[in-house]
Amino acid sequence: MTIEHIPAGASWEKSGNASWGQCPKCKNWFHLGPEILKRPEVKLHCPHCAHEFHQNDAPRLIKAG
Amino acid sequence: MFRPAGALSTVHEITALQYALEKAGTRPIVVVEQPKLANGKTSDIAVVTNLTASRALVAKAIGINDHRSAAPIYAKKTGTPIKPKIVSDAPVQEIVIDDLTKLPALKQHTFDPGPYLTAAHATTYDPDTGVDNTAIQRGWIKGPRRMSWYPYPASHNTRNLRKFWTRGEKCPVVFWIGHHPAVLMGTQAKLGYPESHWSACGGLIGEPLRIAPSKTFGDKIMVPADAEIVIEGYAPKDVLEADGPFGEYTGYSGPQVAAPVVDITCITMRKGALYHDYGSGLTDMLVPDNMAMEGKVYSIAKAVAPALTNVYVPAQGRRFHAYLQFSKPGPGEVRDALTAALAYRRLKLAIGLDDDIDMFDDSEVLFALATRVQWSRDSFSIDGLSGSLLDPSTAAGAKTLSKMAIDATLPLPPFAGVPSPVPPRSKVPDAAMDAARKVLSGADMAGWPTL
Repeated sequence: MTIEHIPAGASWEKSGNASWGQCPKCKNWFHLGPEILKRPEVKLHCPHCAHEFHQNDAPRLIKAG
Repeated sequence: MFRPAGALSTVHEITALQYALEKAGTRPIVVVEQPKLANGKTSDIAVVTNLTASRALVAKAIGINDHRSAAPIYAKKTGTPIKPKIVSDAPVQEIVIDDLTKLPALKQHTFDPGPYLTAAHATTYDPDTGVDNTAIQRGWIKGPRRMSWYPYPASHNTRNLRKFWTRGEKCPVVFWIGHHPAVLMGTQAKLGYPESHWSACGGLIGEPLRIAPSKTFGDKIMVPADAEIVIEGYAPKDVLEADGPFGEYTGYSGPQVAAPVVDITCITMRKGALYHDYGSGLTDMLVPDNMAMEGKVYSIAKAVAPALTNVYVPAQGRRFHAYLQFSKPGPGEVRDALTAALAYRRLKLAIGLDDDIDMFDDSEVLFALATRVQWSRDSFSIDGLSGSLLDPSTAAGAKTLSKMAIDATLPLPPFAGVPSPVPPRSKVPDAAMDAARKVLSGADMAGWPTL
């Protein structure tokens, strides 16, 4: 699973800073900080269904920046 | 004080009540005597929340009659520390319990993954000097003897944690919950590193804070003897787990992070203990921290601008905006003060106001912005200053913020003893205003349009 990066725009264009991951079990999305994405050994915890999984197992990961 | 009848769930319902109160424009302390836990059982520990939602009440709790004058007084009181007093009879150690999940911790917002300690004051110490540090830091209760703990990366507690981990040791930490609001305000004092908060608390309450050795760490980490609940434990070296998302002071949900965990060694509480919760992102949490910020910004800016008379950090601006008020500032003085204020990490907008503006009334502040500012002349921005990266408007990967200052004061008089070169504000005589108030005093205004 590769991390999808949001393409950067011009410096005068608005850009967000939230990255999102999709839960492999319930398919819901939740937002992730940059530091946890740098630590693939730390399991993510889905706040919707409490499923724990490694980021490699997320169907999609969308990273800001 | 509002004591809702019947049970309220710790899952969303108590926080929803706070939102409803805020929407209604009222800020009573809320005591939920029958909090219903996520497992359906009713806790015998009552929940106190909204304790600090009112500026007026918080000001009174620290001995200030008018909340409008809090900044200089808070700065003075926390700058006049009183050393703590060590006692052996700590009410907070009367009862020992063995299960964190018995506490009526709230799951506040929809994205929160579980129940969080929101009013837990995490106390650690610097292993080099032995000096303790205290800060409000969240903890997600993950099981009977385990919780996550998220010390913000720039916090002094993170420095202490890193020092222990660099030594190859687990980090000792104590979380204490519930105390007199003046003590809670003392822990919000913005101090240097390493510097203990106990003396700042003493300065605010006007007497030594009673502290006692913790059960696990003895006099290495002291605990407030008159707190409600104490949780002691260790953060094992280099162990990080998912924490969050969590509803933040910004009014947005903060992202999931990798956070230390704490293995619990001991939980104590006083007989009949109350569980204190801060409504995260609500005025309940913003008011005490913002009032402490006012004291700090006042101290910083006053040092370069003697004409500064007051500072207000309005909850409407989360923790990002500050209004600075001046009386007869000299040339350059307002800009000096605004520049100094922007250096304070949490602020990203500082507005300078004259003393004829009621800065606690946003319509007055907007009046000053509308009529006393030419934007290219009176505003300036500075990029690359430290700030809160929880601000949703920052670019991804940014480590610093762009900040702005606005001088919304009137020009100075050109010569001593003459008016400023601006037209006077429209007004009616005071006697006419008094008469108008009398006319309205008996009128039933219910149903009159407000917009």
